[in-house]
Amino acid sequence: MVMWSWFGLHRGKATTGWPRPGGDDGQAGVLGMPRFDPQCCRTGCRECIAVCPSAALRPAPPGSEPPLRIDYGRCLGCQLCVEACPEGALSPSGDWAFGVTRREDLQWQRAVESSAGQALGQRVAALRRSLHIRHLDAGSCNGCESELQALSNPFYNLHRLGIFFTASPRFADLLLVTGPVTAPMREPLRTTYQAMPEPRLVMASGTCAVSGGAVAGSYNSGCGVDQWLPVDLYLPGCPPNPAALIEGLLVLLERIPQRVKGGRLER
Amino acid sequence: MSAELIALASLAWIAAAALGLTGRLPLLGRGLLAGGALAALAGALAALPGGMGPVPLGLSFSAPVSFGLPPEAAWLLGFGLVPAALAVGLGSPLARGRFWIFGAALTLLGALGVLGLTEGAAFLIAWELMSLGGAMMVLSERGPDSGNGAVLFMLTLLELGAVCTLAALIWLGTVTGDLDFARFGAAGAALSPGARYALGLLLIIGFGAKLGLLPFYEWLPGVYARASGATGVLLSGVVLNAAYFALARALVDWLPGGAGDGFALGLSLLALAVLTAALAILYAFQEEDWRGLLSLSTAENAGIACAALAAALLFRNAGLMPLAGLGWLVALLHLAGHSLAKGALLLGADGIRRATDSYRLRPQGLLRRAPWPFAVGALFAAMSLAAMPPQAGFVSEWYVFQTMFQGFHLPGLAGPLALAVGGAGLALTAAIAFATFIKAFGIGLLGGAAPAGPRIPRRYALAVGLLGALVLATAVGMPWWLAALDPGVAAVLPGATAKALRSGWLLVPLSNGFAFISPTKLVIALPLLALLPLGLWWAARPRLRRTPTWYGGLPATSEQAAITPLAFSNALRTFYSMVYRPTEEMRHEHAGLRYFVRRLSFDHRVAPLFGPALFAPTVKFVYRLAARLQGLQSGDLNRYLAVIGIVLVLILAVALF
Amino acid sequence: MIAAAQTRTLAPEALDAAAAELLESGGRMQMAWALVPPGTRHPELCYLAAPGPRRPFVVWRLSPQGAEVPSLARRTPLLSWYEREITDLFSVRFTDHPEPAPLVLHAGADPPCPVLDPHCRAEAVPFAQVPPKFPAVSGDVQLLPFGPVRADVVESARFFFFYIGEHILHYQPQLFFKHRGMEQTFQGRDPGPAVVLAERVSGVGSCAHALAYCQAVEAAAGSEVPLRARRLRVLLAELERLYNHLHYFGQLADTTTLKVGQAQGRLLEEQAKQINARLTGSRLLRGLLVPGGLRRDLAIDRALVRELGVLRGETVGYVRMLEQTTSYRDRLHDTGVLDAATAFDQGATGPVERASGLDRDLRRDHPYAAYEDNGLRVPMERAGDAYARARVRAREIDVSFDLILRLLPQLAAEGPIRGDCRPAPGAEGLGWTESPRGSLYYAVHCDDEGRLARVKIKSPSYSNWRVFPYTVHESNMMDYAINEASFGLTIAGCDR
Repeated sequence: MVMWSWFGLHRGKATTGWPRPGGDDGQAGVLGMPRFDPQCCRTGCRECIAVCPSAALRPAPPGSEPPLRIDYGRCLGCQLCVEACPEGALSPSGDWAFGVTRREDLQWQRAVESSAGQALGQRVAALRRSLHIRHLDAGSCNGCESELQALSNPFYNLHRLGIFFTASPRFADLLLVTGPVTAPMREPLRTTYQAMPEPRLVMASGTCAVSGGAVAGSYNSGCGVDQWLPVDLYLPGCPPNPAALIEGLLVLLERIPQRVKGGRLER
Repeated sequence: MSAELIALASLAWIAAAALGLTGRLPLLGRGLLAGGALAALAGALAALPGGMGPVPLGLSFSAPVSFGLPPEAAWLLGFGLVPAALAVGLGSPLARGRFWIFGAALTLLGALGVLGLTEGAAFLIAWELMSLGGAMMVLSERGPDSGNGAVLFMLTLLELGAVCTLAALIWLGTVTGDLDFARFGAAGAALSPGARYALGLLLIIGFGAKLGLLPFYEWLPGVYARASGATGVLLSGVVLNAAYFALARALVDWLPGGAGDGFALGLSLLALAVLTAALAILYAFQEEDWRGLLSLSTAENAGIACAALAAALLFRNAGLMPLAGLGWLVALLHLAGHSLAKGALLLGADGIRRATDSYRLRPQGLLRRAPWPFAVGALFAAMSLAAMPPQAGFVSEWYVFQTMFQGFHLPGLAGPLALAVGGAGLALTAAIAFATFIKAFGIGLLGGAAPAGPRIPRRYALAVGLLGALVLATAVGMPWWLAALDPGVAAVLPGATAKALRSGWLLVPLSNGFAFISPTKLVIALPLLALLPLGLWWAARPRLRRTPTWYGGLPATSEQAAITPLAFSNALRTFYSMVYRPTEEMRHEHAGLRYFVRRLSFDHRVAPLFGPALFAPTVKFVYRLAARLQGLQSGDLNRYLAVIGIVLVLILAVALF
Repeated sequence: MIAAAQTRTLAPEALDAAAAELLESGGRMQMAWALVPPGTRHPELCYLAAPGPRRPFVVWRLSPQGAEVPSLARRTPLLSWYEREITDLFSVRFTDHPEPAPLVLHAGADPPCPVLDPHCRAEAVPFAQVPPKFPAVSGDVQLLPFGPVRADVVESARFFFFYIGEHILHYQPQLFFKHRGMEQTFQGRDPGPAVVLAERVSGVGSCAHALAYCQAVEAAAGSEVPLRARRLRVLLAELERLYNHLHYFGQLADTTTLKVGQAQGRLLEEQAKQINARLTGSRLLRGLLVPGGLRRDLAIDRALVRELGVLRGETVGYVRMLEQTTSYRDRLHDTGVLDAATAFDQGATGPVERASGLDRDLRRDHPYAAYEDNGLRVPMERAGDAYARARVRAREIDVSFDLILRLLPQLAAEGPIRGDCRPAPGAEGLGWTESPRGSLYYAVHCDDEGRLARVKIKSPSYSNWRVFPYTVHESNMMDYAINEASFGLTIAGCDR
């Protein structure tokens, strides 16, 4: 006779204290978006652009500095550019907390203007302490789902933050979309969004949902969610790990400030 | 006044019968039938509350025949004729020959005779005319060819009943010397208790075959499935009421309860009636044809009425006359509401047939292609049959339960226990009846997408609407309609009164303190209470955004995604499988290997209870007997001569000794 | 000529006889695909035949030159899906196919030209929602179309149940809502960096997909992978098997409503993923494999050994507790029984197949990476029910831990981890792995510039989704979720 309840009580608390200070986010060793040092970048060298599988790296218009345009919304985190760069302009980092409310914030920019006021305030005010999420898989590779399912495990325990997954869009405040929106999933996406009562938010989780990722523009895939729905939070990553997801959700709810400006994560 | 009207009605019906035989002018024939029905209705209404005294008809069989309508007969006749008039006026959508009008006329005449004739031989003739008329109506309709067996089955069972009735009448007749009903009461009192019990059983079987008491309800679905709704209205309305009247008069008038020896009969009738009601409604719930469902519901309601009658017998047996009167009245109320509501739904089924060419219960968005009186009338009728307030069915069902609950007044243990168990059985029946009519109305009428197609004809909508409104009017005005039965119940059960069933606008079971309901007040209060939510809805309208039903992101692919009749009945089908013994059959058709399925057919069936257990062996026995007796038809002259010789000797012996 | 496999050219008329002969001799068909070889106009068909364990694969090649090809679906039912896919993507017709209906591109899709033909530059296929084709069902049967957006965080697919009450009469899944066209994305790319695409075909099978792809490219290039790299590949593959199987048990506990069991299973999976992250920088083991070896070396330290030991102890205890829970066992016994004949005919693979008594494991029968010299036990059951599938996976966890612990000392020695790998123009290669869900194949064809012309991916979930409906027919609704969880399939791998 197995006493599961006794086992659970005996095992004790397995939840991390994070995001409270001092907590362990569980992502020790996890690589994030490559960091860019424009000083080292040599004009005319296209090594990184040649290997990037998702066209996140583009040459800048001639004459502008630096000679590289990085769109982190397309970055898969594969680190091929880091290995390819002969000058070390791109270096590996642990910058995986990349949730932003405006798509432009994912483009690397030299000058960082003061952050414009977030337009969300009114809609998230009521949801800050209790958010219900309807997840929709619009053609992901299942990596995003694996990390989303991890949010319910005892380590991350999403419920303690007042955030829950629901079964029906009628009860949902946030539509969390993963995947590049394949052709057969367009109508279900639209129907699900229509079925949600106001106030409602949309979050594009994962590089595929932000920009189409590695499969953008194929015969059956789209280029991300914002082609079809207004998106309130973009979270690139392939896949975004559970801590990045939690960080993105808290940024969306304005419980923590957004730390990514001009494609750079402020430390 | 009422005698003239009844005579007019009879003439109109005879004329209609003659016209029907010639096969010409069917419209005039139906008009005569309907006109006669209205005349008879007026006559019945005029006969209330005092009843119509016996009018000698100038005929004489064993005794002079006269025609009289006691108040309860007038009540039942009136309520039965309202839907009958509409039914014969609208005609049968399936009638293909000329015999439908003839059959209807015979049925109506027979029912009239059963209700009013006071001499046994004339009564039996009227009874047989009623059965024959019913069979003729059914046979004249364009049903499936295999249905003829069902009609034969019905006739066989009805003949069995008629034989029992005949035996009972002759038995009583031997005591009184002739077949005049007036003296049967004394004859019954003179019999021994055992003989009274046997006589009572004979009468129950005799009249119960027509009512559909166990096990005779099994002919109902087969016959109704071959007939139209209009035929069903006549069979479930006037004919049922007439049969019940005959049974009630027989058990109450002809078998007066001595002190304490009518208990066995009351108990038997109670058991029979409650079991009938439960089994009939269980099978009704599994029906997927309007007519089958409604026919078995008729048997259920007949069972409920007989249960009330049985309670009345038990109370009379204990000397509690007011309670006996309560039971007796309750049965009449029940049949009144039932005639109207059943008539409404059967005519509705006819309307559905005209719109969709089928009587099948299927979600086809019918209410969206019917004029609104149809919806309202069907709703009220279904509510009444499901015993929902504030309808007539609720009133009578409530009264039935109140009668059962008052069983504690009976002395001893057996009486209260019997009534309590009977009440429990009726509660089960009521629950399943509720589910049945939710299935009928919800799936058959309310459900389904609104397709293109012919609408339900306006005349049917108006008829159903009228009957539904009358159902509500019956319930709402019940405190006043009860007065019509006061002299009747007092004549039959001295000490009982119908006034005790009302108290102002409330309906009470003899006393205010026990329980009460008031449809009259409900019908005023409910619309007022509805104003609040309606107001809220009205206020919220502009801010509503409408979106399609959530179905997983894509719309539901077909009608099959909605609930089907079998899906609705499936839970009970599984739960009561020891009664139903359900069977399912799945056949696959493959494209080559068994992995590639091209077609699936699914078949489901429930097995009737008495058919295989009782009737099939009896039929087999009769066949065997007939095979044995076939020897008489051998064609051998010697054998014929021998038979003639034996018969002559027997006649001689009987004559001499 | 496909390296790592023998080739045999057939005429379309000889196809059926060859298939019959293969089945008689105890072999089996694995998959079929089409390609338009560079410089030609018409699609060419390839069939992968496995004559038996320890014998090399054989690829049958056909050039129908635009004519119809006889369908092998009646002889080998598992090929019916491959043939329908070829029809959808290459417009090749098969005569006498028992179930001709669109599979990969839903019925409402309307491509202007065959989408995987390199001459066709179809950007976006016009699409309309059309319900799929069902067998004609007569009788008062209810239909439940469930999906594609389903409750909880799960992948999108639509399941059609024909049912009465609790009894499921017929079941038909409609997959390929998630078909992204991954195979087209490979076309025209450089083989080296394209491993990143292979990792993203199925997220929880990243390592297995990348490994099969790399082996296919290495076979095409004829290059040799250094021993240390091969051993590290085995380590990564087994780590992936671990976290997948732990997730599986958490899911199974969830469907049998053991809340604490689910929590513990998911917690163990999280611990396994954190071990992955500390070792490789990626929780899903991405960004490591490349054709020729590994991109960077991994540091095997004592902390890793200790963590794996702790994980093993907890896992053993957890699985034992599950096995001792009567409600869990009761719900798994006799649920979703898959008999051996159906498993063979429909091409079941992986733990599903081994639970039904079919003894196949690519690590043992066609060893790759460093599996040859590492002696492998392959667990097997015969009952074919959900409990058998769970038992097989439980024992596979044990086998994986044993393998890892045997490998770790061998990885103490330093060594090269990457060799040169550049496929010649026109080279072709076949790679395979035994992923946590079953056998996974990659067939790589290069064009005249050494870039990828056609990559065919056969995911184990593709095979097992074909088998799954045969365990659901005539079962009941309450067991459906448990049955689906006991198969443990992904939809992304199937849909690609």
